[in-house]
Order: sequence, then structure tokens, then C-alpha cells
Amino acid sequence: MSTELLRKIIHIDMDAFFAAVEQRDFPQYRNKPLIVGGLPNSRGVVATCSYEARAFGIHSVMPSSKAYRLCPSAIFVKPRFAVYRAVSEQIREIFREYTDLVEPASLDEAYLDVTTVQDFQQSATLIAQDITQKIKQRTQLTASAGISYNKFLAKIASDINKPNGFYTITPEQGPTFIKQLPIGKFHGIGRATEKKMHALGIHTGKELTMLSKEQLQSHFGKTGLHYFHIANNQDNRPVRPHRLTKSVGVEQTFSKDISDPILIEQTINRLFLAAFAKLQTKELTAMTVTIKVKYENFEQITRSKTILDRITDPSLGPYIIAELTKKTAISQRKVRLLGVTFSSLESTITSPRPKQLDLFQLN
Amino acid sequence: MKFKINREVFLLPLQKIVNVIEKRQTMPILSNILLKMNAEVLTLTGSDLEIQLIVELSIDNTEVSEITVPARKILDIIRLLPAESQIDIQLDNAKLKIVSGRSRFSLTTLEAVNYPEFDEKNPHTTMLLPISQLNKALNKTLFCMANQDVRYYLNGILVTISNQQLKLVASDGHRLALFNEPLTEANDIETSFIIPRKGVIELSRLLSDSDQLLSLQLAISHVRLDFERLSFSVKLIDAKYPDFSKVFQQDFKSVIPVNRKDFKDALTRVSILSNEKFKGVSLNFSDSTLKVAAYNPDHEEAEENVTIDYSGEAFVIAFNAQYLLDAVSNLESDLIHISLSSNMSACVIEDPMDASYQYIVMPMRL
Repeated sequence: MSTELLRKIIHIDMDAFFAAVEQRDFPQYRNKPLIVGGLPNSRGVVATCSYEARAFGIHSVMPSSKAYRLCPSAIFVKPRFAVYRAVSEQIREIFREYTDLVEPASLDEAYLDVTTVQDFQQSATLIAQDITQKIKQRTQLTASAGISYNKFLAKIASDINKPNGFYTITPEQGPTFIKQLPIGKFHGIGRATEKKMHALGIHTGKELTMLSKEQLQSHFGKTGLHYFHIANNQDNRPVRPHRLTKSVGVEQTFSKDISDPILIEQTINRLFLAAFAKLQTKELTAMTVTIKVKYENFEQITRSKTILDRITDPSLGPYIIAELTKKTAISQRKVRLLGVTFSSLESTITSPRPKQLDLFQLN
Repeated sequence: MKFKINREVFLLPLQKIVNVIEKRQTMPILSNILLKMNAEVLTLTGSDLEIQLIVELSIDNTEVSEITVPARKILDIIRLLPAESQIDIQLDNAKLKIVSGRSRFSLTTLEAVNYPEFDEKNPHTTMLLPISQLNKALNKTLFCMANQDVRYYLNGILVTISNQQLKLVASDGHRLALFNEPLTEANDIETSFIIPRKGVIELSRLLSDSDQLLSLQLAISHVRLDFERLSFSVKLIDAKYPDFSKVFQQDFKSVIPVNRKDFKDALTRVSILSNEKFKGVSLNFSDSTLKVAAYNPDHEEAEENVTIDYSGEAFVIAFNAQYLLDAVSNLESDLIHISLSSNMSACVIEDPMDASYQYIVMPMRL
């Protein structure tokens, strides 16, 4: 570690947030598999599901139709974003009682930098416990906390004793913790990258540190550098209270290239809904949709469409995507990666704008 | 191919055909006009693959022949010749020679065999309709069509023939126009189809207030209308039109009569200071008064009071001023009826003297 002041970072993550709010407000949903998101007969995806639903293997971003097959007795409800936003604002108020250095990552999670907080014997762990207790008191909802000296480890820590738990990774434990960490747990490493890492013989953080900056960059490009930094205990990303999100997207790399144009279009539609859900949790609306297609030879193209009215209804997705995929070669070429990104973002809270209601949409 | 024709006889049909032809074409032959001669009839055909228009003219020649020539060039030549000119047209060595007075032109041609004429066999439904009825139906609805909406089925007009009624619907999602009138030529046909935007606009240009009948022939992928020596065909939008019937199932509080001209003038003036992008104006209904108001991000404000016959509870609702103006401008009576249910649901604007059409406008949340 460098000689600079060690930071104290807390990551607070609400437990199964949307589902927990629904179970709080509707007692009949409690202790039952509950899915918040698209209805099973729609093309929608799971936004959040209760822990009871997770026991069936259901997770967020999964198509609702698949969730239904896994657990036909599950209760499906549509999200009530206005309520989630209100709860989220309550939680953020709690955070601000401790520090102004709060970076909301979405409606249900945030990073806090409590390095300079003098209370609680200067213990970040005690602060975190106090925060989660206060959240429980004021919202009747549980949250998990991760405490460490950078954002990467704080986020991983909040997941360790989830739900309703906390975990602290001290600067002394940090390097050892990173070494034993399975590669798939690293920030930014999804299933596809995980497979690629495995193919390179990398399964843990320790094996990751054995690669040089140059080797990682040659295999993973720009993100390789990020992997190098976090593996070598150098995550210096600050907690930024006013981070402006420029774009919100979801992408998926396939372990095996896909060539069926119908499957490709379905996948893009699913990614659209997942990205749209993310947009909503970040309290943003978008004007531009971009699809990204990487062909089997790594050639990558993007196609975008701007809708001046802003994209407020996900049911437009299939039409936008049909228009955009026409401008790609998915009917002739194999594809290894697909992505959907929203940009030209605007906050739904700070800039309430006149909204024209639509005859055919849920407003 | 050889025929004589008067400039005035030739010019109008050429103009109609050129309207259909797109300026930029992927296939060169589509920028041409197809000329066909058969039994003293000359037919002119233009197409953009979505729409096809055929116009018939009488000529003094029984020859059978066909050719295609650049549409815009032949139109410009005929248009710029002196009025009442007699024109001689003759195909000679794959060139179309146009001679009139001291002018002579020689145009390139492309063979007619390659012209992509619509395959119009097998209509499954045929019916007769007064030209004037379809004309009115289109004129009262077409301004509500969407333009380049991703919901492509909204970029057109839904035509439904059911229960002896002719029904047209156009909507861009924000407002909707509905035309509904009994068929004057009774039949038991039940059908519905969506005519795309460009087809609607071209067709409305060709129709008139004539009492004559047109023949409508519907096939799976297109509809063809024959009238006044014209034959207009258009490929249909293959989609299901969204259900809008819920709009009429709401519980309307009251029908408010409003003087059309007063309301229109107030809207026009007040909207000057509305937000340029959203054009939002608020309508404040209270005892005997409708207050139309607008403000914009520069904190400029406009307000105007219109006297109305209303005595219910006070009520505020906001709309895009342009949508109201479009509706009000298309109504004809001095008095209009506005029906409201809540400030989050659609309002209906009607002509108390003519029940054949009505407009629905969705409000805005300001």
C-alpha cells in the first residue's frame, strides 16, 4: 500500500430491495416466492425476486417466462417505481446523517466514504451497523453492509453475509482476501470473462496477480488494466457524490457464438429490458438506444436510434430493436457479443418535464 | 408507339403519376413512367413499390405497345410547352421522340418488361363506396396519423368495414381521430386493414367531393381503388392496430359546449408563450369561464378567458396546444363539445352538428 491515508468505505446494499418493499407492503406476499418485474406471459424480465424465489434458481435479468417455468407457484407483480424511489430517498437521507460523501450506485445501493467521520470511535464497522439498524427502524427493510478500504472490496464484503449482515475486510486482511477470491467475483468479470480466465489457468486472485499489466492488457484490452489494479490492491476509485451517468447498458458475451437471427433478436430484446430496468433503478430516462454487435471475428458495430419523446415505455423495445437489427448483419454472421445501451440520459427526479400521456401505453 | 395528344389532356395525369414516384430510387426503372397503349387507351403507371397509380387516357390509336421513360423529364417537357400545344409522341430506336411546334426532344427509355407492376390478381373482397364519403373520412382523420413512429402500425390509417359502417381511425398515440358513418352502398362485408401514411396522403390528393362511386378491391397484401379512370393501389401495413375502445368506456363528467372560434383564437394566442418543445397549455374550467393559460421556461406567461356555459366543479387539465388546434380546426360548427373525465385521461372533442367524426386528445402532465 502507498503511504496515503487509508480510506474507510462502506457499501450498503438493500436485501432483495423491490421484493422486500412489496413483502413489507403486502403481508400476503411474505415468506413466498415473489417476483417483481415482467409478468410470466410477457416478454419481461425479473427485476428483483425474494429470497424464497432465489431458492428456485431464479435471479434478476432472467426472462419472466423462464422464472415461471422454474417456479409456477411464484407470485409475479409489476414494479412500483414511485414507491421504491421514495424508500430510496429515505435511505439516502439516513446516509447523509453520517457523511456527505455518498455515491448512490442505484436505488438500492450506495457507497459511503466515512474516512473523516469522528463518531463511533472512528470505526467504520460500527457506523455501518448503526446505518443498517436505522434503515430497519425507519423502513422495516433490511440491508447488508460491506466495510473496507476501497469500493471493490466494500462491495464484495456486503455480499458475504447477505441478507441482513455485514462483513469487514481490513487493510491487513485485504491482500490475502484478494488472493483467495474466485476470479468470477472480481469487479467487472462476468461469466464469459470468467471462462476466458479459466482457460488461461486463472481461477483466483492469486493467479491473477501473477500476470503482468501487459499480459492482462493483451488479453482483455482496457479492462485488463482495471483487473490488474484491483488484483494488486490498487482500487483508488473515489466515492463521488455527484457522479453523472452518461450511459446505462447491459451486454452479454456468449461462450459459444450464436448464429440464429431469431435467437439473437430475442437476446437483444432481453438485454433491452434488463438495461431498461437498470435505467429505472438509476432514476433516469433515455433518449437514445444503441445496440452493439460483435461478430465472431471480433469486428464490432453499433447502431442507434434516438426518440425525442424519450423512451418511457419498454414495450417499444421490440420495434426499436427490429429497426436497428435490420442495419446489422445478424442474419448472415455469427455473433459473440450483444449489448444494449441507453444514453442521452436525464434524471427523472431533478428534471420533471411535461409528459404527454399516450393512449396505448401505461403512463 | 405513336400517338398525338393535347398538352392539357396529358399534363394533369402526368403530375398525378409523378407525385407517387420517389425522387430517390434504388431501381432506376422506378424513376420512369410506364406508358402502355391498347385499343385507343393510353395508360400511365407510376410506382414506388408501396403505391402504384395508373391513369387512363383516350387516344386515337389502336396500336398495342409499351415503354418506360424518365418521369420527371417528360413531365417538365410537357409542363413547359405552351398551353394547348398539340404534341406528337413516337418511339424510335429505343428513344421517345416528343415533337410540338418548333420543339423536339428525344428521351432515353427502359423496356417495359422489367417494370415491377403490382400483382393484383385475386381480390377477396370487392365493394362500392362514394368517392365523397371516403374523401371526407380521410380528410377528417389523416392529420392524426403518426409519422415515423417506431410503432409502425400507427404510421397509417385503420379502415374498418363492419355492421354496414365505414370506420376510419388515425392516431399517433397522443391523439386519435375517429370517423364512423353508415355505408351508403349497403353490403355485408366485415373487414379491416391499415393503409400506410404515404398511401393515405396520395389517395386523399386524388379524391374529391364527387358523388360518383369508387370500387374498392381488397387482397391479402394490398388494396386497390378504381375511380374516374384512375386505379390506385397500396400495400397494406401487416399488423394489428392497438385497441383504443377503453377511451370511450371512461366515465365522462360533463359535456362542455365551447364557441369554436373563441377557443381557437385563445389557443393560438396563448400558445405563443408555451414551452416551444412541448406546447403545453392549461385549461381551467370554472363557472362560466374557461381560462386558457401557458408559461415557458423563460417565465413568460399568457392567459385568456373564454366564456363558456359551464357550472360544474372547477377543473384543470393540460394539453399540447397544437393537438387541440388541429382538432378544433378540423371541426366545422360554430359550437364544439368537449367531454372530460379526469385530468389524466383522454378528452373527446366533437361537432354537435355532425356525429360522423370525433377527436380524442390525451392530456399532458405539466
